[in-house]
Amino acid sequence: MSAPDQDVPDIKVKKLFRKTTFGVFMLFGVIGLSTSILNVYTVDTHLSEEYISNSKGIAKTIADASVDILLNRDLAALQSLIDQFLEIQGIRYIYITNESGEFIAHTFVPGIPEEILQSDPLSTETAERTLTGLGDFVEVGSPILAGVAGTVHVGMDRGLIALKIQRAIGQQMWLFVVVGAIGVVAAIWLVNLAAKPMAGLMAYAVSLAKDDEPANPELLDRDDEVGHLARLFRHFASRQSTGGQ
Amino acid sequence: MTRVLPLLKKFQDRDMFLFFPFTGAAPQREPPYGDFAFNLRASYGQETAGLVDNFVAVGRRRIAVFYQADAYGRSGWAGVRKALARHGEQIVGEATYRRGAKFTSVMRDQVNILKAANPEAVVCIGSYAACAAFARDAVDLDLNVPLANLSFVGSENMLKLLSEGRDDAERYTQRLVNSQVVPSYEDDSIPAVREYREFMARYNPEVPAELVTEEYTPFPHSFVSLEGFLDAKLMVEILRRLGDNPTRKGLEEAVFTIRDFDLGIGERASFGPDRRQGLQGVYYTVVDQGRFISLTDWQGRFANVGA
Repeated sequence: MSAPDQDVPDIKVKKLFRKTTFGVFMLFGVIGLSTSILNVYTVDTHLSEEYISNSKGIAKTIADASVDILLNRDLAALQSLIDQFLEIQGIRYIYITNESGEFIAHTFVPGIPEEILQSDPLSTETAERTLTGLGDFVEVGSPILAGVAGTVHVGMDRGLIALKIQRAIGQQMWLFVVVGAIGVVAAIWLVNLAAKPMAGLMAYAVSLAKDDEPANPELLDRDDEVGHLARLFRHFASRQSTGGQ
Repeated sequence: MTRVLPLLKKFQDRDMFLFFPFTGAAPQREPPYGDFAFNLRASYGQETAGLVDNFVAVGRRRIAVFYQADAYGRSGWAGVRKALARHGEQIVGEATYRRGAKFTSVMRDQVNILKAANPEAVVCIGSYAACAAFARDAVDLDLNVPLANLSFVGSENMLKLLSEGRDDAERYTQRLVNSQVVPSYEDDSIPAVREYREFMARYNPEVPAELVTEEYTPFPHSFVSLEGFLDAKLMVEILRRLGDNPTRKGLEEAVFTIRDFDLGIGERASFGPDRRQGLQGVYYTVVDQGRFISLTDWQGRFANVGA
């Protein structure tokens, strides 16, 4: 007994595999997003710590070198000293105050910013500053001769740190996009590879149901799950055609 | 200079010395390099001290500083600070510019910073182009106070920038007072000036063509040129005193024989183991009818400026 054509749905396996592909996309997305967030946090933390550490080292170096200059040389030599350090990437300003808080050397142009003038010149605490027209900075300090001869302050450009983070994240994202794209293409190819015998099996089952010439009869020779299912379908079809005997 | 002085110290056993550098900077006047140089002119410290003393003497005690953001500027700033401290005063305001600034640079921010400090005079420590730009913007923004410049500025170049192509040049130059380390080359009553002008007219020295890399027209006379003339005159005298068989070893001793030597400028030059700068005099000039002349009456000149 043959089944009517309308009883045999035109089933397509693409829907199943589209979900699989979508799942792969989602997985990559989740991995990418979480990795980026973690990376931003890690790079930001590490770079900030590194910059602050370097700045403190530079401030201490200047403070140590300043002792001799302050005691034996003129302020021009002190200015030369800090001008040299200004060439280090990331350092945007340096200023030195004496023990009474007077600014005795600095690198500001056209003048010392009001925010700096209003701050405690003898403090060596690390501070975050926003200077009008200049940007955001991390400022570290170091005492000269334990503070009795003054204080050195070094300002690091936070904009540069942000730029480095952006670059690090950007590079990582590029790598991730490339790897992701290759992964998705590979996933689609593998899914299609797996879907092809399934589609053949589907066509074989439909042809059996329609009592048509069996499509893809070579499936019966396969020694895998598809072959087993094809032979099982043929068995059920033959039982049905012989009235269940 | 910062490279030459360590070299002279390194090779001090070879009796090499730096003679009469065209700068009033401190490094070649103090330890550890002071023993390897001979200076003729006064220092920047003496120039700034003289300017401050004269301003204070005419009642202008609120003094601000406009300076180049480097060691040279800091040296001048420190000189003003030290001079003011002697009068119980402090620098009332300061503004800086980056080295290399041109006359076309805008100095309005610097002028506004100093205006806010309400100074009675500004001492400028910088190049002629930057100081001229500052003077221009100071006049335009009504910072109506005397603007003092050091000898380093190159007075003739500064005057040229502020005057060239202007019908109202006097407006931009009347507040200038420039310190010099030689007398005015306009003053024919000074024997060395007469000699200098005569020699310049007779020999008309020109820059060797191989040294001219860009268009350059030297001034017929200038303070720098007169300083060089005096340097050369003294150097010739030192070489003469070295005798017929000059050696490096005898060089320092020959310099030390220069005592009360008359260069023809009024002040006599002297050197010794503890005196390695021959002259101490600082001269002050102002612009009058488009040229720098000696300033003698500070009160009269600046009585109405900023009044």
